Amino acid sequence: MTHDTQAAEAGHAPASAAWPIRLDGVSVTYPNGTTALRDVSLDIDAGEMVSIVGLSGSGKSTLIRTINGLVPVTAGTVTVGPHTVSGLHGRRLREVRGHVGMIFQGFNLATRVDVYRNTLVGRFARAGRLRTLLGVTSARDREVALTALDTVGMLDKVWSRAAALSGGQQQRVAIARALSQEPSIMLADEPVASLDPPTAHAVMSELERINAERHLTVLVNLHLMDLARQYTRRMIGLRDGELVYDGPAAEATEADFEQIYGRRIRPQDRLGDRT
Amino acid sequence: MSPGTTTEPATRLDLPPRPRTWPRRTLVFSALTAFTVATCLPAIGGIEIDLAAIAQNWRHGAANLSALLQPNWSFVPRTIQPMLETLQMAFVGAAIAAALSVPLTLWAARPTNPNTVTRTAVRAVINVVRAVPDLVWATILVAMVGVGALPGLLTLVLFDVGIVVKLVSEAIDSTDHPYLEAARAGGATQGRMNRALALPQSLPLFSNQWLYALELNVRISAILGIVGAGGIGRLLDERFGFFAYGDVSVIILEILVVVLLIEAASNVLRRRLA
Repeated sequence: MTHDTQAAEAGHAPASAAWPIRLDGVSVTYPNGTTALRDVSLDIDAGEMVSIVGLSGSGKSTLIRTINGLVPVTAGTVTVGPHTVSGLHGRRLREVRGHVGMIFQGFNLATRVDVYRNTLVGRFARAGRLRTLLGVTSARDREVALTALDTVGMLDKVWSRAAALSGGQQQRVAIARALSQEPSIMLADEPVASLDPPTAHAVMSELERINAERHLTVLVNLHLMDLARQYTRRMIGLRDGELVYDGPAAEATEADFEQIYGRRIRPQDRLGDRT
Repeated sequence: MSPGTTTEPATRLDLPPRPRTWPRRTLVFSALTAFTVATCLPAIGGIEIDLAAIAQNWRHGAANLSALLQPNWSFVPRTIQPMLETLQMAFVGAAIAAALSVPLTLWAARPTNPNTVTRTAVRAVINVVRAVPDLVWATILVAMVGVGALPGLLTLVLFDVGIVVKLVSEAIDSTDHPYLEAARAGGATQGRMNRALALPQSLPLFSNQWLYALELNVRISAILGIVGAGGIGRLLDERFGFFAYGDVSVIILEILVVVLLIEAASNVLRRRLA
């Protein structure tokens, strides 16, 4: 856990360094019998920006959720930085999750709660037992949350209810919530699937900037081929829970995408260029 | 519709065969009818509904009714104090129940309490509390803590907690809470995310039921006095005992007015809070 003094010395930049991610023979079978991941092994270096591409139902959401333990693995091990996530419970698991930011397709904000308190959720993992029990926020929590909101350009909406914001604005607040965790890894599960094309590009650029400026490891689920090519250097293809592609994103050919999708390329597999 | 299809004869639709539901419907309907008739047959132990009693006794009823139609307005001053006691019981009972209902509801709903053991335990206790009728609670509590407003108040609290916890926890169960997944992903404890997010998000559900509990309290506390649990009900019971129908009539009218006022007020509040 970061001490206030260290963070103050480091200034604006987050104190935490990026973490590598390692999946070793990971399989996930849900209680209803569906197998979502079959024997997936992956090595992602600290500071990489990687996309996971596949159709819905291919296991991308499951894969990204094994990294912060939202989905427990049935077999294999998941390692993030110095921690083995698989098998962790309770307090230890929450501590690891505190270092892994996540944004979602549906933004996942509490709509009746204001932007400020939604962002502060990112500080919960860093609060000690007493602060957690009493539900109080420290001056540093406030400062980190407000700085994160400023970074994504949402500081002027700090007292608005989340429901009053547009989709793009809500996703920015969700990014601020994740950033205020001062994370070592940033996960994004279909972050632009509910947004219109210009807003989608803006949010992807934001993730690109986070990767470049903060040197965070960024893992982003996408189903659109051109977004994967434009914004990420490395691409992982999933089909029916199996890893079918792992290589540079920019050079991935149409044939590679057809293999990942398991069908021919259709117009809706592309979003369209940046405007 | 495209222009081509309007002129051409309608193509035969490949309609799947319609499922036959009438035999089943007839069976259910006749079973319900047979059961209803059977419960009214004294020969097989059914309840006896003697309609002739109405014809024989309606004169007594009419005499009582005409007495009730002559309210004794001079009795009004004596009803003020018990009526205030009833209102006090209703408000204080609703307030205490509201405070108690928050943690209990969050314990009883799945999204806010993933632990099956504690959730089932809280739900079981609430179901037992709800299964006991309010007058039975009042009778038990009068025996335990004595005659007066206190047993009435305790009855109302138990009754309200049962209603609010059951209805609100079921409403929380049946809605999506994506923000809880996000908070969990960020390493928050269940307690902290419940307080910071789930509670403000569910507040309209709570406030609706709190107001409903208040409305019910005014109505119920008028009755509770009959078993000795204080308020206007005790006076009502006493005046009935003396066959003072003029006084009874005043009390009934007063209860009616107060209930209508409380309902109107809570309707206004409900609209504001939505």
